[in-house]
Amino acid sequence: MALPLRYPLRSLAHRRLRTGLTVAVVALVVIATTLFLALVSSLRRTLVSTGSPENLIVLRKGSDNDGSSQLPLDAYQALRFFDGIVRNAQGEPLASPELVVQPFFFRPDGGRENVLVRGVEPIALDVHDEVRIVEGRMLVPSQGEAVLGRGVAKRYAGTALGGEMKFGRRTWKVVGILESGGSSFESEVWVDARDLAADAKRPIPYSGMRVKVASGADRDALIRRIGADSRWSLEAKPETEYYAKQAESANTLYGLVVGLAVLAGIGAVFGATNTMYAAVQARVAEIGTLRALGFSRGSVLGAFLIESVAIATLGLVVGVLVAWPLGLAVSDALGGIGFGAATFSTNVITLRVGAFDVAVAAALAAAIGLAGGFAPAWRASHLRPVEALRKG
Amino acid sequence: MKFFPFVWRNLLRNKLRSLLTGGAIALAIALVCILRTMPAGFDHFLEQLATNTRISVHNTAGIVYSMPYAYLARVKSVPGVVDAVSWTWFGGAVDKDDGVTFPSFAVDADSIGVVFADLEIAPETLEHFRTHRDGALVGRQTLRQYGWKPGDVVTLSSLVWPLELSFRISGEIPADVDPRFWFQREYFEQALREQGVSFDQAGMIWARVDDPEQVPAVMRQVDAMFRNSEAETTSETEKSFFQNFFGNLEGFVTVIVIVTALVTLCIVFIAANTASMAVRERVRELAVLKAIGFHWKLLFVTLVAEAALLSTVAGGVGAGLSLGLTGMLRAASGWNQQLGPLSGFVVTNALFVQALFLSFFIGILSGVVPSFGASRRSVAATLREVF
Repeated sequence: MALPLRYPLRSLAHRRLRTGLTVAVVALVVIATTLFLALVSSLRRTLVSTGSPENLIVLRKGSDNDGSSQLPLDAYQALRFFDGIVRNAQGEPLASPELVVQPFFFRPDGGRENVLVRGVEPIALDVHDEVRIVEGRMLVPSQGEAVLGRGVAKRYAGTALGGEMKFGRRTWKVVGILESGGSSFESEVWVDARDLAADAKRPIPYSGMRVKVASGADRDALIRRIGADSRWSLEAKPETEYYAKQAESANTLYGLVVGLAVLAGIGAVFGATNTMYAAVQARVAEIGTLRALGFSRGSVLGAFLIESVAIATLGLVVGVLVAWPLGLAVSDALGGIGFGAATFSTNVITLRVGAFDVAVAAALAAAIGLAGGFAPAWRASHLRPVEALRKG
Repeated sequence: MKFFPFVWRNLLRNKLRSLLTGGAIALAIALVCILRTMPAGFDHFLEQLATNTRISVHNTAGIVYSMPYAYLARVKSVPGVVDAVSWTWFGGAVDKDDGVTFPSFAVDADSIGVVFADLEIAPETLEHFRTHRDGALVGRQTLRQYGWKPGDVVTLSSLVWPLELSFRISGEIPADVDPRFWFQREYFEQALREQGVSFDQAGMIWARVDDPEQVPAVMRQVDAMFRNSEAETTSETEKSFFQNFFGNLEGFVTVIVIVTALVTLCIVFIAANTASMAVRERVRELAVLKAIGFHWKLLFVTLVAEAALLSTVAGGVGAGLSLGLTGMLRAASGWNQQLGPLSGFVVTNALFVQALFLSFFIGILSGVVPSFGASRRSVAATLREVF
């Protein structure tokens, strides 16, 4: 015969302070874990969600980012007419040559960061179809105009729409704000490619190009053809692969964080075990009575395990409910959390607790509840009824 | 002190509980130590730079904007400058698939030892570096990571320049957490010339000033010299430069500080929980002790001492544990490009002592409330309740 679920739950309410403290311990471990996981996974999400699988990025062979690559002009002129690249209504190929430079941008508090400034041509918006101008308008070439990513607009001084801001060697007019569904383009500034090349004194105006592959075309054949062309030493790869590679650097960090979370989790297991032992200790006579009444060992074991898991679950709920707004508050207070990715430019990320982070925290909480409850529950279920009654 | 055995025996009464609580506190303190190494490593790194007389000169527009190499000679000629050296980013990778795993720069061989005299690179190492065109000075961290030793020949492929160069390691840069790889600018320029590229730019310039008093004046003079030129410069102290360079870690540090605070709070709760259990169990005994004449203050002190002792011992174990764990982390992570000076993971003596004090105060804090209540309870009421 199983004990009713009410029994372990009402036992929890019986010793409020002790239950409360243990719930608080689990909740704190959950908050610490989710905040940390969220930081790393937000960075990863930002990078992984960037780019489109239909797009190829063309860089110099061996370059791992478009800030350290060059694309000769004649290569651009030839490549854009390769087979397999989509054309728009005007018959223009969807090939966007781009120049990447990372000048200083200044925080309102005076700190400076390297921000990725992308020199583009008007075609860029058609190739990067995830990017939308949400305020103002797209820049007009050679007018010294700039469009800011949403993350950049919040974070740096002088980024008001319609205003002027200084970066690189000159002053630029802010004419628009772009969004891309949270991906890393929102941490960029777009300007005219030739304006940027002149400002950065780059003899070659492009560092790489992005092309959109036609839906029926053989993507791999196009990749091979670009790589095999002996006139230039270039390499094409899917945009998504390029950003996934950058996100890889976040994986070590994720591993480190999970390791620390496990350490904190083991500590919480000890705390929970203590609480549950005390609960068993306080109820020896009660357990003896239950056993004498005919409740089986299994049902006593189950009841105490449920009690322990209930504590952990409460801790999880409280923890997640605190961690979520706390993460947003922190990143809001800092104007987004800046993070230098492998490309030597700052990614402005929003600290958002994701479903996966919560899942990891839930697994941790469940493990705390089960591991912490098992030994005490085992002891409770193996008390000898006669002795237990006498002791009580 | 004569009460110490009494406190100790009380701790041993429920060994399992003390062990579990101690274990939880030890793990949490270890975690606090590990987390604190990150911001502390950063502070330590900046402090080291605070007193020196080295200034950084770079293009006002950004570090990726270069300046003419001719600026180096002009900086050297400024009164008060002992010597100056240029750095140019090479972006060398051991394996192109892994990308850049440590920072590599082309530097001027004759000046590097003077400008970076505080690194205390061995004179014979510097001599070897100066006299071997393909020599390289390599940070201890990188040497350890790749198992290289002086005399080894290593090849780096640049991800920025169309170059693949072989270097002979002259010796180490003797700082524990130093990933840098320096080689001769002359070797670099020559290799570029062979590719048909003439290179007359410098990434940045470091200058050593003889007198700390003169630093601001020298910086002003350098910047004034290049005003309205094709590459205007910003000069700043080394500390300010690195503070800015790693400025984007600030958000990460904030999160670490918050998490550390949460874990600390967590220890308080675990310890308080145990203290309250211990006290509750001993209500009868405390009443008897008071009945036979012990003052409540004495009982209060012994109870708090019990919590503090447990917590401090556990804290010591935890801090010791963190030494081992950070050692493992260092071995596993190497130089993390994203974390920069945060990835040193060195538990300094100061951190160790801080952890001990932290656990001591947590013990006191967690013991005070339950102990105060228990020791102040009226004897008559307790005894009536119990018997």
